[in-house]
Amino acid sequence: MPIVEKSLVEVDRTEKLEIDGIDVSGEWNTFLRSRVQAHLDVRVSDWVKGQPQGETISRCWQCGTCTAGCCMHTDYGLTEFNPRYFIYLAQVGYEEELRKYATTVWRCVSCNKCVERCPKGVKVEEVIHTIGSYLELTGAAPESPADRFDRAYASNLLERGILDEAALFRTYERLEGRKTPARDLMRMGLALLRSGRLHTGPFAHRTRGWKKMGRVLRENLEADERRRRALAVRAAPPNGGRP
Amino acid sequence: MNPILVLGGGPAGLSAAAELAALGAEALLVEREAYLGGNPKRWHYSLLAPDLRPAEEILGPLLGRVEGSPKVERRLSTTLTKSERLEKGFRVTLKTADTVETREVSAVVLATGFDHFDSRRKFEYGYGRYPDVIDFKELEGMIHDDKVVRPSDGRAPKRIAWILCVGSRDIQVGNPWCCRLGCVVSIKQAVEIRQKHPEIDAWVYYMDIRTYGLWEDLYWKSMQEYGVKFIRGRIGQVTLAEGGAQLLATGEDTILSRPTEVPFDMIVLASGMEPGTGTKEAAGLFGLPVGPEGFLTPRLSDMNPVDSGSPGVYFAGAATGPKAIPDAVTEGMGAALRAFQYARE
Repeated sequence: MPIVEKSLVEVDRTEKLEIDGIDVSGEWNTFLRSRVQAHLDVRVSDWVKGQPQGETISRCWQCGTCTAGCCMHTDYGLTEFNPRYFIYLAQVGYEEELRKYATTVWRCVSCNKCVERCPKGVKVEEVIHTIGSYLELTGAAPESPADRFDRAYASNLLERGILDEAALFRTYERLEGRKTPARDLMRMGLALLRSGRLHTGPFAHRTRGWKKMGRVLRENLEADERRRRALAVRAAPPNGGRP
Repeated sequence: MNPILVLGGGPAGLSAAAELAALGAEALLVEREAYLGGNPKRWHYSLLAPDLRPAEEILGPLLGRVEGSPKVERRLSTTLTKSERLEKGFRVTLKTADTVETREVSAVVLATGFDHFDSRRKFEYGYGRYPDVIDFKELEGMIHDDKVVRPSDGRAPKRIAWILCVGSRDIQVGNPWCCRLGCVVSIKQAVEIRQKHPEIDAWVYYMDIRTYGLWEDLYWKSMQEYGVKFIRGRIGQVTLAEGGAQLLATGEDTILSRPTEVPFDMIVLASGMEPGTGTKEAAGLFGLPVGPEGFLTPRLSDMNPVDSGSPGVYFAGAATGPKAIPDAVTEGMGAALRAFQYARE
C-alpha cells in the first residue's frame, strides 16, 4: 500500500485514514488500494446465465458493437455506461470491479439498438438489467435517501394498507437518523391537517380486510429478502480477500 | 519401378504410403521412432478438432491401410543418413541402431512433420520448474486417460488457465508464425474437460482467437454451452502463489486495462509448432531451401504445395508449416500422386 499524492490517483483507489473518527488523510499520506485484480471467479456469470433474461451473456465475444451504438454511451455521453464492459466483467468474473457500477448499470433506457445489432445474438439490454439485479440483490449499491424513503413507505403501507403520513414521516426520520424540531413539526402538521392533506391518528383510514392482504404481501417480501440474503452470502469478497 | 520413399510415419506419411499402395506402387515407409502415427500417437492425442472424434478413429484406418498392405515396406527406428541423386530417383542410406543399408528409390515424399515447441524456452512461464504448469500436449494424454490431475499432488484441479501462443507469434524465441492449432486445440481441451468435469472452471488467456473457417463453431460452443471464459491479454509470468499450493498468473487484462494476478490450480501452455528434427535433416540431405522459419518451402506454395521444385522430391504435411491433420492427410494424397507420376514417367 504505497503513499502518494492524492491528486495523482483515481478517486476510487484512495482510502480514507480515520483516527478517532477524524479524517486525517488529507492531500498527502493517502492510502491506496492496489490496481491489481486478483479475484476471478464464475459466480456472477453463473448467476446471470441462470436467469431467463441473462442466459445469452455467455455468447459475448467483446466486439463492442453494443457500446458503439449505445445511446447512453455515445449520444448521452455517459461514457461510464459501457454495456460491453459490464458484460465482460460479469462474464469473466471480475466481481469487485463490476460492483463499482452498481448504480450506473441501471442507466440503460432500453432502446434495444444493441440487441438489434449484436452479431452473436446477445440480448444485451436484458443481460445488463440482469447484471443490475445481481448487483442490487448482493447489496453492491449503497442505500440512498430515496431507498430509505421507499422502505419507510413500504412498511407503512404493509401495516395498514393505506398511508398514514405522520407515521411515514416518523419512520423516515428514524431511518435517516435525523430529527425535525417539534415546533416546526407542529407548524407543518397543523397546516396540513387544516388543508385536509394529512391523515393520521384517529382520523386515519385503514383498508378493510387488510390483515389477509398484508400477510400475503409480507410473505412475498420475506421470500425476496431470503433470496437477497442467500445471494449476499454467495457474493465474492472484495479483491479475493487480499489487501 | 523402384519403390517410392516416404520419410515420416505421421498422418501425412501414412496417407502418402497408403495412397501409393492403392495406386499399385511400392512404398518404403521410413520412421525414426519405433511406432507409426507421429505426434498424435506420441502424445496420445485425445479427441481431434473439429468433430471431436477420438484420434484413434482417424489414425486407425490409416494405420490399417498401411500395415495391412504388402506394398508398403515399413522401416521403424530408422533414419536416413545419406542421399545421392541418380539419373532417375535417389540412392539413400538407411540406418538403424545396428544396421546400415543402401537402397534405390524412384521418388521421395518428405513427410517429416513438426516438433512441439519446447515450453521450457519460455522460462517466465515456469514450465519444467513448477510441476503444475503443463504443456497442452501432455494434457492431451491426461484427457485421453481421463486423469486430469495436478502433477504436484495428484489432486483434481478446480481452476485451470490456458495460455495461448506459447512459442508462437513471439520473436523472443524466434518464432514469429502462428501455429494455427493452439487456439482450437486449447478450446477443445477446455470443452472436453468441462464436459466430463463441469466443476472445473476454465479460463483461456488469448491475444487473438484464430479458430479459422468452420472451427469457429467450436469456439462459440465452448462459451455458450460449456462456459469457457476468455480473457484478452498475454500472461507475462507465472509464479507460485503464497503458500505454494497454487500458481499465480500475472498479466494485463487488456480489456480491463489493469494488471491481474490470479491464482490457478493448473496452467496449460499451448506450445507452438516448430520444424521437426527430420524436416531440418531432410532439407540438408536433399539440398532443399528452407524459409526463414525453418520449414521446407514448396516451389509454388499456392499452385502446387506438394512440389519441392527439385525433381522427384515432394512434400506432405507439417514439413512445410503448421498443419492440421485433415490438411496433412490431403497433402499426403497429393504428394503420393505426384511422386507416382514422376516415378512412372
